[in-house]
Parts: sequence; structure tokens; C-alpha cells
Amino acid sequence: MAGNQLPGRKMRLPSRTMLTKDRIVTLILFLPSLVLVGYFVYVTIGWNVVVSLSDWKGLTPSYNIVGFDQYTRLFQDPTFFTALKNNLVLILLFVPGSLFLGLFLAILLDLKVRGEGVFRGIYLLPFALSFVVTAVLWAWMYNPSIGVINTLLMKTGLGFLKSGWITDPNVGLYCVVLAIIWQFSGYTMLIFLAGIRSIPESQMMAAEVDGASGFDLYRLVVIPQLKAPALSAFVVLMVFALKAFDFIFVLTDYSDYTYILPLMMFRETFSMNRFSYGAAIATILFLLALVIVVPYLYLSFRREKE
Amino acid sequence: MRFPKPRRVTLYILLVFFAFLFLLPLWTCITTSFKPVHDVIYTTPVELPLSPTAEPLITALNIMQRPLLNSFTFTISAMILSCLLGSINGYILTKIRFRGSDTVFLFFSIGIFIPYQAVLVPLVLTMSKLGLFNHIEGLILTHTAYGIPITTLLFRNFYGVIPNSLIMAAKTDGAGTWTIYRRIVLPLSLLPFVVAAVFQFTSIWNDFLFGVALARGSEAQPASVALANLRGTTEFQWNVQMAGTLWYALPVLVIFFVLGKYLMRGYMAGAVKG
Repeated sequence: MAGNQLPGRKMRLPSRTMLTKDRIVTLILFLPSLVLVGYFVYVTIGWNVVVSLSDWKGLTPSYNIVGFDQYTRLFQDPTFFTALKNNLVLILLFVPGSLFLGLFLAILLDLKVRGEGVFRGIYLLPFALSFVVTAVLWAWMYNPSIGVINTLLMKTGLGFLKSGWITDPNVGLYCVVLAIIWQFSGYTMLIFLAGIRSIPESQMMAAEVDGASGFDLYRLVVIPQLKAPALSAFVVLMVFALKAFDFIFVLTDYSDYTYILPLMMFRETFSMNRFSYGAAIATILFLLALVIVVPYLYLSFRREKE
Repeated sequence: MRFPKPRRVTLYILLVFFAFLFLLPLWTCITTSFKPVHDVIYTTPVELPLSPTAEPLITALNIMQRPLLNSFTFTISAMILSCLLGSINGYILTKIRFRGSDTVFLFFSIGIFIPYQAVLVPLVLTMSKLGLFNHIEGLILTHTAYGIPITTLLFRNFYGVIPNSLIMAAKTDGAGTWTIYRRIVLPLSLLPFVVAAVFQFTSIWNDFLFGVALARGSEAQPASVALANLRGTTEFQWNVQMAGTLWYALPVLVIFFVLGKYLMRGYMAGAVKG
């Protein structure tokens, strides 16, 4: 979100000289979007909160408002804490993992590499794919009997490293983390590479004259200037780690060891028909996302205004 | 900056090593799609098939045909609608402006980041009430509505750099909001339309959550849901599963190879996924 208005050139409608007809045209053009976003984002979020305060089980058409019952139940439900814990583990490993691998790849590509475009394309490709695609691909990679990883380990004499991977409760969650790092680090690479390229060449040269070279140059000059891209990538990764559903749902279904809040929400709502309970989990997810997103939007908005 | 020779060799070894890791799942998907059952068992996944066959691809296409067609229908419709609306919004928010237009934009932006779980229950209820549950039209409406925030952001970024003097001049000549949009802004919009269209196509095509919540197991079922089901019904037929994956991923792969640089611009504009 680049600042794009020059100071002092802000345009304003001369309110009295404009035809009213023109204002009506503007309103008509804007109305569909206002209605759609207003309804599908804001009314539905509000409605979801209302449902979460009710005793509604699907299939019965009516419900009563019962207050915070669903939430009290939620905080006594051990599966809620399992899901929350798994969500946290996911965030703590996946977010820094993707940031570091992305940064590393961006630095590699910045070293005047031949065929940079090809490598960049290869690293970014997984990010363009649907989570359903990558989930099926990784199910194949991790398959214990004839999957890619175990077969390759056998063939290269590393058979002792064989594992049940995604089917093993002890490592299943880490297998998920690894796969989504694979999918997202191309994205963080792209964001970091753009950030590195926006640092003026003269600064790099000055640092080289001062004797900085190799990875020192990146540690001392480049990385400290990547705060803005790191922040926006961080927010995107955090929000994803909260709501990640498709990938895990397709890969491991509702297994305990990869059970996270979005899966719990979906299961309670659509398999168990506990609409109000599902809505309460959804509300908690929404609040967690707000805590991350609102300060970020506020900051980038202020930066744009300056 | 250049590293001395031996270190450059290490650099390329690293780059190729990572390229191998990033391509491995996709490569084994392609090879396995062309393997008869015998080859799946007796060759390693990275090897080419001994006796290549199109059988798995045909089997998978027979199962996925209708869902793929569904996905094309709602993806293209919702892509066009959300891009048109996003373009108009971007124009109004940068060039017309009104009191509170920044606040409106902020409210739109929040729509980019919300976890869709937070709207899922009311969304299903709404679609049932409208009679659009299990219908393609329901998916078009849903994807259009949730696409507006991001397309608005993309177009707003682009329109910000159209000089205001251009708009002012037209205004002095008596051109109204719509005329200025049609005659000045729209003709300058080819690039943002390509970026937004490519971005919207891939994210709508790739969606699973809305598809599974709104059209599971129906005539309107999207390809993403069909592929997830295929995984359940063909548990040990890896070649058919991989072939189905390939069919479903194909449109996105084509876009990535042909229009990848526009997709990257979309990603860099603060894009999100999921």
C-alpha cells in the first residue's frame, strides 16, 4: 500500500458547484459494493456473534438467546485447549520458519544469480497452488508404504530414517508445518526480495567501501531495513496460521494431533450441527485475527497519510 | 556484489538443492499421473513411467469433468464481477473521494483479512434463505462479495498514480463521474485489470472452504471439493489421485507460467491467501 497522493494536491469535490445528478451516479456505482461488503462481511460477523450467544442446534428452526453459555462450555472443553495448543505450536514454528527460509532464499537470489527468474518462479510456484492440491501432493510425499520420502530414503540407503510421517501422532503436526513452510516461503521470498531491491545501490556500495562484505553486508545493512516487508509478511502468515483449514482437513481429516481451531469450528458446525457452539469458536478466531490485523492496518494507514 | 569463486559454486548448489525440494512433489505428481498401477509399485516416484499410459488421466477426468466445469463457471463469473466492482471502487476512492472515504476503505480492508470461519454459519443460512445453497449462483455471489475488498485495494493502488490533473481537466470540460470513468480511467486500466483478474481467478479457483460449506456433494460441487473426495474414494490408486490433482491444478499452472509476473504483482500488493 504505497502512499500515492502528493501533499497539497489532495482533490476535493467543490461541493456546491457539482451537479446533484452526478452524486447520485456515484452513489449508484458505489452501492452494490457497499451493500455486498456491508452484508457479507459486517452483518454476517454480527449475526455469527448473535448465534454464538444462543442455544441453537442446527435443524431446529428457532433459537433462544442464552448469553455466554457456549463460551463457558468452550472453556471447559478439553478439545478446545488441544486445538488451541496445536494452533499455537503451528504459529510458533510456521511463522518464523517461513520468514527465515524466505529471507534466506531472497538473499541467495540477490547475489547476482544467473537464471534468477527461473529460480524465483520455482520457489514461488507452490504458493500459487490450491491447498487441496498441496495436501494431496504431501499425502503422497508422506505416505508411509509407497510414498515419495520413504521410497527415496530406502533407495539412498537411509532407510533407518523411515517414518510414519503424517500418520505418526508424534510428528504429524511437524509434517504439516514443514509442508506449509514449503508452500509459503516462496511468498515471503518475494516480499523480502522486493524489499531488498528497494534499498538504494549507493548504500550497498558505501558499506562495501567500509569493508563490509558477504553475509555481513546483509546482516548489517540490508536486514535492518526490511522491517516493513517483514511486518506485512508476518501479518499474512499469522492470519493464515490461525485459519488454516483446507490443507489439514484434506491431509489428516480430524486427527487429534493436527486438530486446530478452524477444524473444530467446522466439525462442530457441519458434522455435529452444533451451530451456536461452532459460531462461538468462529467468534474467538475472529477476535484473535483482529488483534493481529487492526494494529497493522492502523499503522499502514498512518504511514500512507504521511 | 560477487562472492569469490568457491563460494559461488556453493551458492548454485544451494539454489539447485532448494529448486529440487520445491519441485519434488509436483514432479512426482506428473510422473505418477502417467503410470499404470504396476509402475507405481515397481518404480520410484521420481522415475519416469516404464510404460506411460494416459489411463489414470482419463479415469480422473471422467470423475472430475463436471466439477471442473462448475469451477470454471463460477470462477470466471465471480472474477469478472469482482474486478468490475473493484475498479469502480478504486476510482471512487481515489478520484472522486468524499468525506469518510478513507474510513470506508479501512472497512473494506478488514474484509481482506477476516477468517472466513467467522461468517460461515450466517453465510450458509443466507444462501439457504435465498435458495442458492448448492447452486452455482450461490458460489458466484459469495466469491464476488468476498473478492471486492482485495480488488478494491489493487485498483486503488493503481489509480492512485493517475494524475489528478487529468481528471480535473475533464471535469472542467463538464464530464461527469461516469464519463470520466469510461473515457479516462477505464482505458488506462488494462494492467490493473490483468493483475486483479489473474489474482482473483487463482484464489477463487483454489478455494475449498466456501465450496465445501455451500455446495458439497451437489451438482454444483467445485473441483477442489471433488478432488478432496477423490482422495477418499481412490485411496490406493495413487496414479488416479495424482492425475486428478494435475487436472485441477492445470489452469493455475498455465496462468503461473504465462502470466506469472502479473500474479506476483498481485501477491506483492499485500495479498493474502486462504
